[in-house]
Amino acid sequence: MADQPLLRMENISKHFAGVQALSNVDFEVNTGEILGFMGENGAGKSTLVKILSGVYSRDQGAIYWRGQPVEIHSPHQAQALGITTIYQELALVPHLSVAENIFLNRERRRVRGTGLVDFGLQEREAQAIMKDLGVELPGNKKVKELTVAAQQMVEIAKAVSRNASLILMDEPTSALSRKEVDALFNLMRRLKEKGVSVVFISHRLEEVLSVVNRIVVMRDGRRVGQIAGAEATEKKIIQMMVGREVGLFPKVAVPIGGPVLEVRNLTAENGVRNVSFTVHRGEILGLAGLIGAGRTETARLICGADRLTSGSILINGQEVQIKSPAQAVDRGIGWVPEDRKQHGLVLGMDVKSNTTLAILKRISNVFGAVRAKQEREITEHYVHALQILTPSISQTVRNLSGGNQQKVVLAKWLSAKPKIMIMDEPTRGIDVGAKAEVHALMSQLAQEGMAIVMISSEMPEIIGMSDRVIVMCQGRVTGEYERGHVTQEQIMGDATKFLALEALALKAPEAEPVPAGFEPEPKV
Amino acid sequence: MNKMETKGPSGTLSAPRAGTGENIRALLRMTEVVLLVAVLLLVLVGGVVNPHFLCIENIKIMTRDIAMLAIAAIGVGFPILTGGIDLSVGSVVGLGGVMVAYFMMNMGLPIWLSIILTLIIGIGLGAFHGLFVTKLKMHGFLITLVTMGLARGFILVLTNAFPITGLPDQFTNLGQGYLFNLIPIPVIICLIIAGLCFYLLRFTFIGRQIYAVGGNVEAARYSGVAVDARIFLCYIVSVVCATTVGMITAARLSLGHPGSGEGYELLAITACILGGASFAGGEGGVPGILIGAILIGTLQNAMVMLNINPYYHKIVISMVLLAAITFDYLRRRSRRA
Repeated sequence: MADQPLLRMENISKHFAGVQALSNVDFEVNTGEILGFMGENGAGKSTLVKILSGVYSRDQGAIYWRGQPVEIHSPHQAQALGITTIYQELALVPHLSVAENIFLNRERRRVRGTGLVDFGLQEREAQAIMKDLGVELPGNKKVKELTVAAQQMVEIAKAVSRNASLILMDEPTSALSRKEVDALFNLMRRLKEKGVSVVFISHRLEEVLSVVNRIVVMRDGRRVGQIAGAEATEKKIIQMMVGREVGLFPKVAVPIGGPVLEVRNLTAENGVRNVSFTVHRGEILGLAGLIGAGRTETARLICGADRLTSGSILINGQEVQIKSPAQAVDRGIGWVPEDRKQHGLVLGMDVKSNTTLAILKRISNVFGAVRAKQEREITEHYVHALQILTPSISQTVRNLSGGNQQKVVLAKWLSAKPKIMIMDEPTRGIDVGAKAEVHALMSQLAQEGMAIVMISSEMPEIIGMSDRVIVMCQGRVTGEYERGHVTQEQIMGDATKFLALEALALKAPEAEPVPAGFEPEPKV
Repeated sequence: MNKMETKGPSGTLSAPRAGTGENIRALLRMTEVVLLVAVLLLVLVGGVVNPHFLCIENIKIMTRDIAMLAIAAIGVGFPILTGGIDLSVGSVVGLGGVMVAYFMMNMGLPIWLSIILTLIIGIGLGAFHGLFVTKLKMHGFLITLVTMGLARGFILVLTNAFPITGLPDQFTNLGQGYLFNLIPIPVIICLIIAGLCFYLLRFTFIGRQIYAVGGNVEAARYSGVAVDARIFLCYIVSVVCATTVGMITAARLSLGHPGSGEGYELLAITACILGGASFAGGEGGVPGILIGAILIGTLQNAMVMLNINPYYHKIVISMVLLAAITFDYLRRRSRRA
């Protein structure tokens, strides 16, 4: 019951090369509070967090920690104060063990003053720290062998062991399954009991509502309001974030045509086992399942990124060989990958170059020169259609916020006008307002005759947008449903058919031997 | 639907009108401008210390050297753009000179055929590099390091370490002749090559795709870019350019020397990096590389005209490279807020 807030940020402003990211923002966090930090992409949440963690410097304003004014010049300093940030791209060393990561730079020595590390002691202590947080995890396990959820736990344990009083989490739940999210929230509640405050940024409204004490909303670089957890509803938050009413999942009924893409008995070394399904013209096929079920792997086979061991792919009834992504593109297949940064964007190039990356040859003249006017027009069209926030189409993509980068990747594939589009988690990391836009766009494309395979881990999205749903588990198809005849429970049941629901800390034990190389989808 | 509606987070278009101060600072941030200024300074200083530096005869020599270096630097820029490198440039210069001389003198082939055959050897070697880089996923550094030795060894064996002399006048004209009695022919060749490469990289889809491969090869691949084909092209261009420089050198010296080009890769790569190319790939362009070559070439000539001990030349060039990469890294770091 402190009379003053643990953290107070007053009148913070920050600008980057011509973009005002934050304007006069006030922000406070109380001791032992779980605070939900929300806003559309580009609203300034990440920027504020980075200022607090010493990555960015503020232009103006003041920061008070436990009532005292402080200057935070570096992440190291922030940590020394007790402020730890856990980013989406976790900051762990994959090849080292859990204990080594937790004790990084403060290793337990066998003999004081020497470099000899007491690994056994470290591992025991690490296990104790995690147990205190309610997590069972062996201290000597290599981090790269853990699931993303478990890795997050390690990061949190690391922060707690360094006496963090404030833990900031940037979209911690975007890569987690429902059960893992529940475990994370339990952990947060436990932290709160210990007097540690948590600020977490998320776009998943219903999740946030279940665990926070208070929600602060940002829009366009300003703080637009706050609301107590008990009084908050999804609708109210959305309205604050967006400033207008938003209708989710604007699915339009579209006449389904003939089969466009058919896959039969796909089997490959990446874990896909005997997968078959058909997608029709104008249809949105939802591909559901847990992380690691094999959905992205299936997409990779169709898009030529991985090699088929057996099975066939038919487009418009004709069997085709797809040996490379270039061939897939030629056949009219577009793929919006899950990991936009790694697989979707050339960060050093600008918006217009990234947008036209898949259609360069198409918009070139006889001499091979890219038609600048056409490039500009196409890019501007999609910047408008997807409401991509950027100062200009010549802006380097690296400078855009995550959600807008996402949209550029979408724009790239949309401009290629494929007949078949595979979208892997199309709205992950995108704010609510933009989500609705993407969904509206998907409906429109379906109306125009595109066949869409939508891989998604968000139940509402799957149920709300798909004409048909296919569920996968462990590389196999375990369920198929028509729109309107499927429930979340049914999907969940099929998605976990072969799994014994064990502690989330270790990889799910396999029901039967799975070919080598089958690993959970990389989440970095 | 065509009206562009882009807005910054505060709903307004981004930067306020830039003043003159801002404009000058923006110009200085461009590598090319900084380099040009450096060249001008160098020329001024050189001209003051030794007036002969600026006389027309020296300028002819200087521009010829610069042209040859520029061709090699632009060539090596291509693999560097993809994130690789070509260390065999120096040895290939020797190879080009020796082979064209060999074809003409030892095999008695006509000039045009000798040139074409030498170029074909260049294409073959470049393809060899490309093969290892794309199919075996080897870094360009490794395979070109190997051919650096192989090529040099080959020509030493072929010539028994003796230069092949007596090249015909028609051929040597390519290296020693002038257009309009003023512009050395190598400069013309350089301008043609630079022009073609500039067009390719800046305006065509192939050039754009090369930049994409250098920027993020996976993203390029998944976007349907024929990544392997582009990498092949880059390594072939590099060797062909170096081969051309080798032939021009032979024309200039009137002989094919198995030792020529030794250490040339250092100069070519330095000029490239000076000109703004990044070892990580995805950055750099012909104008920058040209100016980088001008700077290095002017520097070399100046060092001779200023009577600087030749043993110091390598040190000076290396210091320039150090300055360039430090400056570049600092600039990169300041980009991150």
